[in-house]
Amino acid sequence: MKGETIVFYLLAALTLVSAAMAVGTRRIFRSAVYLLSSLIGIAGLYFWMRFEFAAAVQIVVYAGGIAVLIIFSVFLTQRAGDDMPTPPMLRTIAAAGAALLGMGLVMLQLVAHPFPTPAVAEVDRSVSAIGRRMLATGDDGFALPFEVVSLLLLAAMIGCIVIAMRAKPNQP
Amino acid sequence: MFLTRYFSEIAEAVGSLLKGMRMTGYYFTHHKEIITQQYPDNRATLVLPERFRGEVVMTHTDNNEHRCTGCTACELACPNGTIKVVTKFEVNAEGKKKKAVDKFVYHLELCTMCNLCIEACPTDAIRMAQTFEHSVYDRSQLTRILNKPDSKLQEGVE
Amino acid sequence: MQHMWNFAQLTDLIHGWLYETFPPAWALAFEMIIVGIAVIGLFAGLGLVLVLMERKVSAFMQIRLGPNRVGPKGLMQSLADTLKLLVKEGMTPDGVDRFLFNLAPFIAMIAAMLLMAPIAFAKDFQIWDLNIGVLYVTAISSLNVIAILMAGWSSNNKYSLLGAMRSGAQIVSYELSAGLSILTVVVLTGSLQISDIVTAQSNGWWIFKGHIPVLIAFVIYMIAVTAETNRAPFDMAEAESELTGGFHTEYSGMKFALFFLAEYINVFIVCAIGATLFLGGWMPLHIGEWTAFNGIMDWIPSSVWFFGKTFFLIFLMMWFRWTFPRLRIDQLLNLEWRYLLPIGMVNILLVTVIAILKWHF
Repeated sequence: MKGETIVFYLLAALTLVSAAMAVGTRRIFRSAVYLLSSLIGIAGLYFWMRFEFAAAVQIVVYAGGIAVLIIFSVFLTQRAGDDMPTPPMLRTIAAAGAALLGMGLVMLQLVAHPFPTPAVAEVDRSVSAIGRRMLATGDDGFALPFEVVSLLLLAAMIGCIVIAMRAKPNQP
Repeated sequence: MFLTRYFSEIAEAVGSLLKGMRMTGYYFTHHKEIITQQYPDNRATLVLPERFRGEVVMTHTDNNEHRCTGCTACELACPNGTIKVVTKFEVNAEGKKKKAVDKFVYHLELCTMCNLCIEACPTDAIRMAQTFEHSVYDRSQLTRILNKPDSKLQEGVE
Repeated sequence: MQHMWNFAQLTDLIHGWLYETFPPAWALAFEMIIVGIAVIGLFAGLGLVLVLMERKVSAFMQIRLGPNRVGPKGLMQSLADTLKLLVKEGMTPDGVDRFLFNLAPFIAMIAAMLLMAPIAFAKDFQIWDLNIGVLYVTAISSLNVIAILMAGWSSNNKYSLLGAMRSGAQIVSYELSAGLSILTVVVLTGSLQISDIVTAQSNGWWIFKGHIPVLIAFVIYMIAVTAETNRAPFDMAEAESELTGGFHTEYSGMKFALFFLAEYINVFIVCAIGATLFLGGWMPLHIGEWTAFNGIMDWIPSSVWFFGKTFFLIFLMMWFRWTFPRLRIDQLLNLEWRYLLPIGMVNILLVTVIAILKWHF
């Protein structure tokens, strides 16, 4: 086995095991930490694929942003330090069934998809190329989705401000 | 206007921060002003500030005379019972009985060096000394009698 | 003009020898081990030097003498302290989340170690010159906050938790300003790669070439990274006088030492990145086309330039620490959201205009 393959399996094991532990643990804070390590494992896979930009973005957005957000909400939860109660058997079975169903759907797609071998010609991974495609309006450009996503984020920000804004007491 | 106030606030803040940094920068570059006393090493040349108070002592002249009349003003002034003046009655040359100090007991272990006894003394018999190396192995050694044995009241002190 | 000390030859020599003697996989593994040992050695050295430097600088700024007993002029003081911390008992208090409590210092340390990878210590002397160098640094440094939150939570102590919360809020908000000021240089260079950024400064450092906007960006960067490394005047995460020790209240012995070391390593890293972005990294002081002057400057080895600039910035951060009083939490957030962030945003627009119109030198 080549060194590269060993590294791949290590990263995949880290991702999968910590994902399983994130849903299996009884303590909510530990669950957030396991989720974080699973996300970092995915970032490691991007690094393994030499797709450094995606890896860095994965760490910035998920590890630095989402995971910290989750941890903060855990901090603000009542009695977050206690062990969670064991869920009823029915719910466990239902959750497992839903997870298996989702996995089955994804696997079906994966098996049906004809992956070209060898992999497609080398993509230009430089940051400037990614930036150009992000703002290109041509066939392979992503200008429209990019703008739509920014519109969504803007709406979310305005929503936050509206919720956080306190009405002045002397106004009706 | 909002913007002018905004920028003048920033300018003011930066100015005051730079002022502080100039001060610490000055100290950093001027090592001569260092105030640390490397005490056990410089014991011989140690210079204590003038107002430093180490303990209460009673001044004695060369003839073993002190100025304490035993009036107990210091004992009354002391806030925590550090001083205990034991008095006796002496018969003077004219045959009159007169109050005098027998033992001036001073508990250094209780003293807070507040200087009130010195200010209360009408005859300037006691003063603050600058000695400060008072550590002993037994607490009882800190209880001292300040008037020397066989010392007398100085002539002319009432 | 040739450089007197060229580390590139040394590294090429080792690289070549390893690949001739061993199969590629083994050679790579050996190189990793060598790099790992070198990084750990650098950590230990930096920890010793920076702690001593901090204590001496603080002493002189407060008209004191500082450590001067252990070894000549007190130079061995931090070595003695390290020895003390090493032999101390590593306590794990009752009621803590044992696994996370013991994991947190290592996460802090691993994040600091990962940050070493893209830093160019000298000409052609860099562990990994990846094409997103600056972005990598901002990404990995956001892992630091996880270690602090983990330590604060698992300690099962309200002071630790408060310290961790404060530190989290602080790091998350100041990351924005730091990112924006880093972006100004990225916009001017047109690349995220550290080696490109350094090469772009071969005719002058960005702080001189980029006019006032880059100067403003530099000031914002220094303020933001001081906050991100939790140093005074932004040390509310530790705040000895309010929170006893903040997130590391419950830590002792070597686990505490790891946190302490990670803090100083982070100071070194942010200063190294600042020196690379604004002060030219290992690039000697070059002025435009003055070849004679530039030639003289080239005689000073590039590693000396790099460490000189980095330590100058570290000294600046220490100067801040021992001059300014601690900010309150509302003042801290005001500073970020009302001053640094708007100014940074306007500033990056200005820099973009400068970069497009090629007004920089």
